[in-house]
Amino acid sequence: MGDKIVILEDIQKTYQIGKVPYQVLKGIDLKVEQGEFLVIMGTSGSGKTTLLNIIGLLDKPTSGRYFLEGEEVSKFDSKKLAYIRNKKLGFIFQAFHLVPWATALENVLLPLLYRPDGFSKNDEKRAISLLERLGLGERIHAKPKELSGGQQQRVAIARALITSPKLLLADEPTGNLDSSSSKEVMKIFKELNAEGLTIIMVTHDPEIAKNGKRIKVIEDGIFVDEKQI
Amino acid sequence: MMLKYRLLWGGLFYKKLRLVLSVIGIIIGVSSLLLMNAFGEAAKIRTLKEIETFGPEVLMVVAGNVRVSAGRAIQTEITTTLKPEDAEALQKIGGIRFISPYFTGDAIVRFAGNTLSTILNGVNEEYLILRKFSLEEGRNFLKDEILSYKKVVILGNKVKAQLFGKENPVGQTILINKLPFKVIGVLSPIGIDASNADQDDQVLIPYTIAISAVYNVDYIRGIFISVEDPSNLHFIEKQIDSILSKRHKVTEKNKDFTIVKAEDILQAKTQTTNLFSSLVKSISVLCLVVGALGVTAIMTLAVNERKKEIGIRKAIGAKERDILLQFLIESVIITLLGGIIGVVLGVVLTLILLPLFNYPLIFPVIPILTSTGLTIIFGIFAGVYPSYKASKVDPIVLLRSF
Ligand SMILES: Nc1ncnc2c1ncn2[C@@H]1O[C@H](COP(=O)(O)OP(=O)(O)OP(=O)(O)O)[C@@H](O)[C@H]1O
Ligand SMILES: [Mg+2]
Repeated sequence: MGDKIVILEDIQKTYQIGKVPYQVLKGIDLKVEQGEFLVIMGTSGSGKTTLLNIIGLLDKPTSGRYFLEGEEVSKFDSKKLAYIRNKKLGFIFQAFHLVPWATALENVLLPLLYRPDGFSKNDEKRAISLLERLGLGERIHAKPKELSGGQQQRVAIARALITSPKLLLADEPTGNLDSSSSKEVMKIFKELNAEGLTIIMVTHDPEIAKNGKRIKVIEDGIFVDEKQI
Repeated sequence: MMLKYRLLWGGLFYKKLRLVLSVIGIIIGVSSLLLMNAFGEAAKIRTLKEIETFGPEVLMVVAGNVRVSAGRAIQTEITTTLKPEDAEALQKIGGIRFISPYFTGDAIVRFAGNTLSTILNGVNEEYLILRKFSLEEGRNFLKDEILSYKKVVILGNKVKAQLFGKENPVGQTILINKLPFKVIGVLSPIGIDASNADQDDQVLIPYTIAISAVYNVDYIRGIFISVEDPSNLHFIEKQIDSILSKRHKVTEKNKDFTIVKAEDILQAKTQTTNLFSSLVKSISVLCLVVGALGVTAIMTLAVNERKKEIGIRKAIGAKERDILLQFLIESVIITLLGGIIGVVLGVVLTLILLPLFNYPLIFPVIPILTSTGLTIIFGIFAGVYPSYKASKVDPIVLLRSF
């Protein structure tokens, strides 16, 4: 198969709760190929979000090695990690996490603020066409609170895509959505994946999980099951 | 380009009431600081103007004991021992340029149904040159008019305006305490002098007629003296002292006159104004500090409220430095906003209040520059803590909680 975009080797994560160490991830090995649509399932508290945050470079593993596109990112400092997040990763959260005072269009453009080369002329055009593609052509100047949950999540998707990321990370992207909005979001994910975007999605909804190409189940900080769809 | 700034600081204008609140403290601090600085500048200019008419070459012998307080020579008792002959005796001292006996009292002046009360000063023909007063109309006293008890008067500018309006009063006859006096001149506007007397609200007549006919006494209140060389002042002061002590047969203990120099008045005056202005300045700097602390408090609140936004920014690639800078500049924008409004308000207040308190009107350029500079410094200072907190926000903690 193709190149490995993510390689995790024996990733462990231990939180310190007061003086008591609490091990959330107990040795995760994972290889994700270019163009995959991987779903991670598991019960609440099993460590899904923790794992996704580590893959997303928002959190650091206590031990283990992490290669992103061949680079050992577990050795990078926070400044370099911020740069990699901006350049290679896109994030979708359960609670959308849009900036409340900014319009849909401004939210989409936000990641470009932190790109070293700044804005270019057609960035705004690209943002608008992304929003149009996601069916929000009419709402580009709306504030998040004026949008439905499904619409907000689509703005968040546009925001994740504006930097043309290599890897899209989604933590329960449909967790706050009704079933029809959920279906729409999943349709978008599948389209993006078909165009070659690698996606890692966390969910505990088996129906949603079926949209992926491969499902891994985590239980108490360790992968227990894997199935190919 | 605009877009970049909108994305960075659009959040500033999201909570408008809060923005207004944080700006108010700065407005008060900056405008009062500017106002105080402007008053300080104007006071300096005023003092300079004042010494023009009571220069370093001028001495004043005052009858009785005199205390200089708040820039004012206050006579503590009335003494009747200083006579016109004393002034004549002092003329012998070498190095004296001009000398004028001086008697002062209240007077009611009247012309064609207009009555007003003013200050009457009895002087001689050298007084105007000595005090560097100039005439707007008419002429000075003649030596002969002083010696021959002529009833002639020179009007202060305000007195002229109130009695005659725009008419030329020279040649007209007015009543001073019911006695007729011929107007021979009008003083140019002078303003308040170093002794805090409004030199436009007075009438000048020969001292001879003042003590004999108007007040019917045989003494004078003081003697104005100007010397040729101010560096001789102390030497001449000593001679005056010894001549008068001999004539009055007094010693240091029971002396019945006092010699006042411009220096003494100025010293007391600058002392009080300096004390006052440094007090007021520290109060307004305190206002600015309180205003800045207000900005700090409100920025801290904003950072807490916007933790999620900060978390998102970090997740999508903002470095700690980006966040730090964003909030630092945000607090500078807030303070600068207050600073600009405060400067405008302060300038308006300055232009209104200066003339109201009889200060010379100045456009406060240096105060504007210093208050603007201080505002930026205080803005940065106010933003340091909240911005540091913002830069340390951990995205995972925030993005985890819904
Ligand atoms: N910062 C932290 N400090 C201490 N414990 C933590 C911290 N973050 C997470 N945990 C704990 O780690 C465990 C795994 O959390 P995680 O959020 O990864 O689970 P999850 O699988 O995403 O659950 P959910 O389905 O409820 O989102 C939980 O028991 C949680 O309480
Ligand atoms: Mg979770």
